[in-house]
Amino acid sequence: MAQRLDLLDPAEVARLGGIEIVAQGVVEGYLAGVHRSPFRGFSVEFTEHRAYQAGDELRYLDWRILGRSDRLFVKQFEEETNLRAMILVDASRSMAWHGAPERLTKRAYADRLAAALALILLRQRDATGLVTFDDQVRQVIPARVKAGQWTRVVRGLLDTPDGQGTAAHAALQRLTALLTRRGLVVLLSDLLFDRELALTALRYLRHRGHQVVVFHLMDPAEVELSGPPEVRFRDPESTVSVVVRPRELARAYADTVRREVAAWRKACRRHGIGYHHVQTDMPFGLALRLLT
Amino acid sequence: MSFIHPLALLGLVAATIPALLHLLQRRIPPEIDFPPVRYLSVAERESARRLKLRHLLLLILRTALIVTIVLAAARPLVPLRGGGAHQPTAAVIILDNSPSSGAIVDGGSVLDRLRVLAHSSIARLTPADRVWLMLCDGVVRGGTREALMATIDSTRQGWQRLDLVQAVERAARIVDAQPLAGREVHVLSDLQRTALASGHARVPKDVRVLALAPGHEISNHGIAGVTVSEGAAIIELAGSSPDDGGPPAPVPVTIRIGAGRQGRGEVAARGLATSDRADGAAHAAVTVSLPAQSVTAGWWVGEAALEPDELRADDRRPFAWRVAPPARVTATAEAGPFAAAALSVLQEGKRVVPGRDVVISSGETPPPTGAHAIVQPPVDPALLGQANRAIAARGLPWRWTLLGTPGTITSSALPFLSDVPVARRYRLEGTGSQESGVGDVLATVNGEPWLVRSGDVVLLGSRLDTAWTALPAAPGFVPFIDALVNRIVVGEADVTALEGAPRVEFRTRGADTIGATVYGPDGRESDLTPASASLATDALGGAEVLDAEHFAAERFSAMRRADASGILLLLALLLAAAELGVATRTR
Repeated sequence: MAQRLDLLDPAEVARLGGIEIVAQGVVEGYLAGVHRSPFRGFSVEFTEHRAYQAGDELRYLDWRILGRSDRLFVKQFEEETNLRAMILVDASRSMAWHGAPERLTKRAYADRLAAALALILLRQRDATGLVTFDDQVRQVIPARVKAGQWTRVVRGLLDTPDGQGTAAHAALQRLTALLTRRGLVVLLSDLLFDRELALTALRYLRHRGHQVVVFHLMDPAEVELSGPPEVRFRDPESTVSVVVRPRELARAYADTVRREVAAWRKACRRHGIGYHHVQTDMPFGLALRLLT
Repeated sequence: MSFIHPLALLGLVAATIPALLHLLQRRIPPEIDFPPVRYLSVAERESARRLKLRHLLLLILRTALIVTIVLAAARPLVPLRGGGAHQPTAAVIILDNSPSSGAIVDGGSVLDRLRVLAHSSIARLTPADRVWLMLCDGVVRGGTREALMATIDSTRQGWQRLDLVQAVERAARIVDAQPLAGREVHVLSDLQRTALASGHARVPKDVRVLALAPGHEISNHGIAGVTVSEGAAIIELAGSSPDDGGPPAPVPVTIRIGAGRQGRGEVAARGLATSDRADGAAHAAVTVSLPAQSVTAGWWVGEAALEPDELRADDRRPFAWRVAPPARVTATAEAGPFAAAALSVLQEGKRVVPGRDVVISSGETPPPTGAHAIVQPPVDPALLGQANRAIAARGLPWRWTLLGTPGTITSSALPFLSDVPVARRYRLEGTGSQESGVGDVLATVNGEPWLVRSGDVVLLGSRLDTAWTALPAAPGFVPFIDALVNRIVVGEADVTALEGAPRVEFRTRGADTIGATVYGPDGRESDLTPASASLATDALGGAEVLDAEHFAAERFSAMRRADASGILLLLALLLAAAELGVATRTR
């Protein structure tokens, strides 16, 4: 029996090839493990009626026309999709970091997870788009379901270089203007920005009727502090640095991380935002399963 | 504190290692990108105080650990109080078994109490110690521990007074000469005030003097001495009497005569003495008339006794005296009228009878052979040479020389001569042909001999004439002549008193008894007034006056040392464990 790539170590899976190969492999494995699409569309727009044909789903029957004219019509929608999904990938500099060479960077992990997610959505004919951002929006791939969309999404990921700082608030505000139609918004980020400002933007998306899911990506080395006896840790996105002895500060740091994660989870839950804490050594299949 | 390996203390420099490492660790640390620096900052801010305390604690623990290990390597010797073996010590134990130690206090004798302490001191000895025992006889006894214990066990109350000041000074010199780490003098005494009256002991600074604090003062009366004169016994009392606010109590005195001399019979008389309480001590004298039969010629022995009290040693004292038959005396014409007058008075009192056993003469004529002679210088200075040749022919080592300066007579043997003026005199000089000594000089004027005795001849520096001296007109003139003819010229030895067990010993020459020695305790032993702690400290060279408990704890403790390296190593182990615990503790 062939191994399911979605359940393997992400770094090992990443060594199999580029994003496309990895994503396809992951999705194949993932879909083999589920019986139906985990996502249900809800953001279709009605355009016209057409005559009922055998095989059409009864739920799309227009019962009012049937009542008035005793003829069977089904509702025709502008896009034949079940879902409009937009995947937001944080491309800030902090995402281009891994705690160990054998692990994926957070950005690489996010790219592959985003590609796999997009492939799943597109396979079930959900319109899927991509936005990458750092301190500004870098790539915007509008949500489409047409052929070649996944390639565009992947290309968008590949074409987005590692950025500098993360002005997530500004980027998210701009995204709210772009996402005018209700849908699913998936944010893949290490959330190393101001929580309240970011939550304001996410709350706004939620207020606009979007289903918002946040994947909080962290390298395992960001969860458990380690390193030389004494080291200066430098924030790659700013000039801030701090000299610490990791062994002394490990427990306090772990507590701080736990508190931060708990605070994000609590804040997201309060506003109806899905929150998932994902470490970059988590198999992609498990991360995808968090969405179900 | 001292160290067995003091050079190891150089290792204390290593105590700076933790601080140096702390400073060296302040090198520029490697820089690493770490995105969640904001979490680090929060964690560090929240842990800053704890981390600072932890760093400080670690620095202290590590420094203390090194210091402790270095000190342990130096093998420190720390002084100990009580328990444990002591360093080799030279000690002299002064066990004061003088007569006063026989006093009964609180149901037991003082000596028994002192002996117990001395015994326990000896029991603490180690083979490395050198210890001597000094008793009231002043003899310093060495020996093995067992021998010293046996000596202490066999020690009884002695009869000699112990001068503690001199004893401590001697003992301090002995221990100071010993090349041992400890030097101590243990004074086990009742610390009588009178035993500290001879000044201040010079004690080397390295010698520690420990003195047992005396017990409480008790009342005591003792007989300090007995003299017999003119048919009466004069009994001197001594002692101590705590001031209880009441009148002085009469002290009954009993005299027994004849004891110890066969055929003399025994008579008794009683007197009543009342002591005074000048300066806390009781001194008094009582005169008891002796029975008439006791004035018959011959040697007599008596004993004065008090009623028993806490100190029995001084309650009885023997005495002796000789009743001589009246001397047969004649005075030559050159002896002068005053001598003749005095003899006639003495004849009336039956103190002398006419005869030629004793001749009072002058230098104009040679002293008669075969008789005791009392010779005055000649009136005519021209006859001085003839007189000197005559007395030289009798073998006298004295001669008259030039006229001396006027002055007054000084005499301890004949108190009634003292302060009598002398206007004219010849200086008496020893010829050196035969041995002459100070003991022959009975009286002096201006420090020069005035009355000397040699053999059966007594020489005077002045004539017994008021033109030479005021003596003939003085009240003591007749007693002086009495003493000269009845006692001095006949060479009768005085009864001497010595310290010792109460007894009388006669000195004989052939079949004749020529003198007596009366033994008894020193009268100062009767004064049981204890010295104050400050007085004892001052007199005994800074002695520490301690009660029995503290004395037992302090002896051999000044130099008692213990190697503290074991404790330090244990402490180092604890410090290392604490350091490990703190260092590995991550929160």
